[in-house]
Amino acid sequence: MSLGRFSGLLAAVLPAVALATSAPPPLAPEHIGVEKMPKRTAHYAYLLDVSWNNYIDERVYVYDGDAGKLRGMMDLGYYGNFAESPDGKTSAMAATYWSRGGHGTRTEVVEWYDNDTLKPRGELVLPAKRAQVGVITPFNLAYSADGRFVYSTNLTPTASVSIIDVAKNTVTAEIDTDGCVQAIPSRVHRFTAICENGRLLTVNIDDAGHEASRSVSEPFFNVDVDPVFVQSVPTPNGVIYVSFLGDVHPVDLSGAKPVFAPVWSLVSKKDRGHWRPGSQQLVAYNAPLNRLFVLMHQGGEGSHKEAGSEVWVFDAGTHQRLARWPLNVAKHGGGIALLATRDEQPLLYVATEKSALQVLDARSGRVLHTEAKLGQSLWYMQNP
Amino acid sequence: MQARLDRVMELASRSLARRSSRRGFLGTFAMAITGVAALPLLPVRRGAVAEAAELPAQAGDPSAAKAPPAAPAKVVTDPASCDYWKYCAIDGFLCACCGGTSTTCPPGTEPSPITWIGTCHNPADGRDYLVSYNDCCGRTTCGACTCVRNEGEKPMYRMSLNNDVNWCMANDNPNYHCSVSVILGVAEK
Repeated sequence: MSLGRFSGLLAAVLPAVALATSAPPPLAPEHIGVEKMPKRTAHYAYLLDVSWNNYIDERVYVYDGDAGKLRGMMDLGYYGNFAESPDGKTSAMAATYWSRGGHGTRTEVVEWYDNDTLKPRGELVLPAKRAQVGVITPFNLAYSADGRFVYSTNLTPTASVSIIDVAKNTVTAEIDTDGCVQAIPSRVHRFTAICENGRLLTVNIDDAGHEASRSVSEPFFNVDVDPVFVQSVPTPNGVIYVSFLGDVHPVDLSGAKPVFAPVWSLVSKKDRGHWRPGSQQLVAYNAPLNRLFVLMHQGGEGSHKEAGSEVWVFDAGTHQRLARWPLNVAKHGGGIALLATRDEQPLLYVATEKSALQVLDARSGRVLHTEAKLGQSLWYMQNP
Repeated sequence: MQARLDRVMELASRSLARRSSRRGFLGTFAMAITGVAALPLLPVRRGAVAEAAELPAQAGDPSAAKAPPAAPAKVVTDPASCDYWKYCAIDGFLCACCGGTSTTCPPGTEPSPITWIGTCHNPADGRDYLVSYNDCCGRTTCGACTCVRNEGEKPMYRMSLNNDVNWCMANDNPNYHCSVSVILGVAEK
């Protein structure tokens, strides 16, 4: 070997030696594990994905709005309903399952998920009449205020409500609601259903989980003139209904009978019938700020499921519109669902037609996080 | 409205008598229309299959001047199009895209025995028709040709005019697959 060739070889090897001596140590072996659920904050949300193109695979995502991260998921079967216990420890997941995927033996069941592990720790098989309702609300399946009972709605299409004693894990009664639908919990052991004739049916439950008494309110809307959406939003003392044409009907359910506050409108006379509320979970409410958020669109009769092109923000006390926040419809599709967190510095979750999720500062409308696509069809969201 | 509903029920009942063996179900819910079915909610805009070329020219549209003055609007006749006139109150997947037609369910599925009714205008003959929307049941959602139109649709407390509940609910297998539309008769004014 000539000196020249040796020099060339040395030049080629030396950098490699230098690299080897200065390289960091190899990566340590890894160990598989299971993440623990973080302690949920008021800025978390449950996001219900109905999996529209394969409906038997609904799920609930647990989302951290501050971090902008998905933290976990629970199964929700087919036409699932979801409710969280008042103590926050349990998620009730009521759904349909078949023994062979989409066919075979049908089971209606409510599974009790442990919110710390996101695993079911028990279940109760229900009669094969559970309501399979496309409009998801907090009132298809609901805990009583003290967590003792769960109200599970039925539709065959005869409407009724099954009363579940949570501690005994049993159905204590099936209460015929005379064609009225939903079970809006109020006070300790009471629920309210909405009826075709524009009235509310209120049923009181006794200590054994049976019907104790019932009453029917005066009508507060006319379905043939301007029906209210069943997607009412809970408030500290009741619910707020919004009508197809944009009238707001606050209802106080804290007393023995519903009390209807004066009706006010989301739209001016000029805009009435042109700008309308619509879509799926079209109204959100934050109590500390007393603000109402509504998905609005321009449309006519029959457009009540149209996705929202804007979020309108109202002071629910003065009825003043505080802001109009246009959504990026071209990029994400219109708004399908809204959820405001319950705290004094709230977030506003917006889910869209393209299953995008945006997390906004609910005071300014500033977008804090965007998931371009989360799941398939986010139609409903719920606070922890 | 009530008179029209009565007429709807009469026609629907006749339709049921012709086509359904599950008439006993009617007793549980008189206003539910048997023989046809409505569908689960889909809160998105109507089907994306807009046939713009077949829509009538609008007043103020410069292209309108080119159209023959008395030319009737071209009627959408494709049952795989969400703009097909019979679908004015449908909410779900079109069975015509799923192995069925506008009036037949795909193989392997079963029609729902209960449903709701829409009133749709047929531009071809200028008449309004009562249309029954049956769900086809027993498979998971078809996933093709989503179509959402809500003319006259009401919230689920008026169930006879609601397309948000699963009208496969009374089937042996209540798994919603797709929807058909069936003419019941001419709507009387």
